[in-house]
Amino acid sequence: MGKKTRRPSANKGLSITSLMDMMTIILVFLLKSYGSDDIAVKPSADMQLPVSTSLAAPKLAVNVMVSQKEIVVDGVGVLLLTRHNDEKSGEEVAAVPADEKHGQLISKLYERLLEKAEQAKDLASRTGNREEFEFKGEILLQCDKNLPFSVVREVMYTAGQAQFGNFRFVVVKGSD
Amino acid sequence: MVKKKRIDEAEDVDLVPIMNLVTILIPFLLMSVQFISLAVIDSTLPAMGSPTEAPENADKPLNLSVMITDQGYTVAGSSAVIPKAGEGAEAGPTVPCTEPGCPRPESYDIKELRRILNDVKDEFPREENIILVPESRVQYEVLVITMDATRDDPERKEDGKARLLFPYVVIAGGAE
Repeated sequence: MGKKTRRPSANKGLSITSLMDMMTIILVFLLKSYGSDDIAVKPSADMQLPVSTSLAAPKLAVNVMVSQKEIVVDGVGVLLLTRHNDEKSGEEVAAVPADEKHGQLISKLYERLLEKAEQAKDLASRTGNREEFEFKGEILLQCDKNLPFSVVREVMYTAGQAQFGNFRFVVVKGSD
Repeated sequence: MVKKKRIDEAEDVDLVPIMNLVTILIPFLLMSVQFISLAVIDSTLPAMGSPTEAPENADKPLNLSVMITDQGYTVAGSSAVIPKAGEGAEAGPTVPCTEPGCPRPESYDIKELRRILNDVKDEFPREENIILVPESRVQYEVLVITMDATRDDPERKEDGKARLLFPYVVIAGGAE
């Protein structure tokens, strides 16, 4: 008799207690891994960040992304890269087109970064040079891990000429 | 009978609004989850671009530098190049790659570089700067793993943390 009376009460409504448990766990997990970083990375085949043991947290700054194909400043494309054969190894590597640079200076990137520096300084003077808006010449560099150093060096040199002297190389946090 | 009624009432709590809320929260949080966490490595430009703060130590600078070539690492100080272990001051990298020609980033001998830098740190415990001089062809990934190797040594602990070696990295223009 006891069994018979219990069964209808169990079937009365859908038991969602276990579902609630699951949802709560998922909710807590998602809240824990909620991304609060200042910078966003769009992963793609020609943009793989290197892994590093560095623990320093990224801060918001002018963002320069150098993939195997192009240079992007704050989400806006600046320059397409070409590929050329390395004289020594014969491998095909990314390079800045020769007609886009003067010596080591990448003209288009220089102009764009100069604009950004002016904007940052303008913001600093308007806010009365408060510390959090001060122009410190900080620049975030996201570079593909397979880029040759020559491209990275030219980007660094250009940024330096445009008054961005404090580089922050963006890397993926990894244990090893 | 009274007891049974009370259990029924407890089961009747209306969970539907909470379920609605949680179901909306989950897709929203899923969108902003970051599965990779980012970090940055700070570096400054050597003597070009915007002026950076001069180092405060009035002692004669050590100018510790590590050249990264396609043969391996060459470690040098202000007075001399640290010779290859056991073979006298012959030409060639201080820390040669484990494979000839360094075909992969993993073939750079980081452990040996760390060992040498640990020795240098023992001798100059207050020195914190290091200059990296990579060759043009060196991959950006190699630069990052070298910066990791020169920053600290997780295998030697000091106060429970990895021993700091040379955390202030300057990247020099480098050899062609």
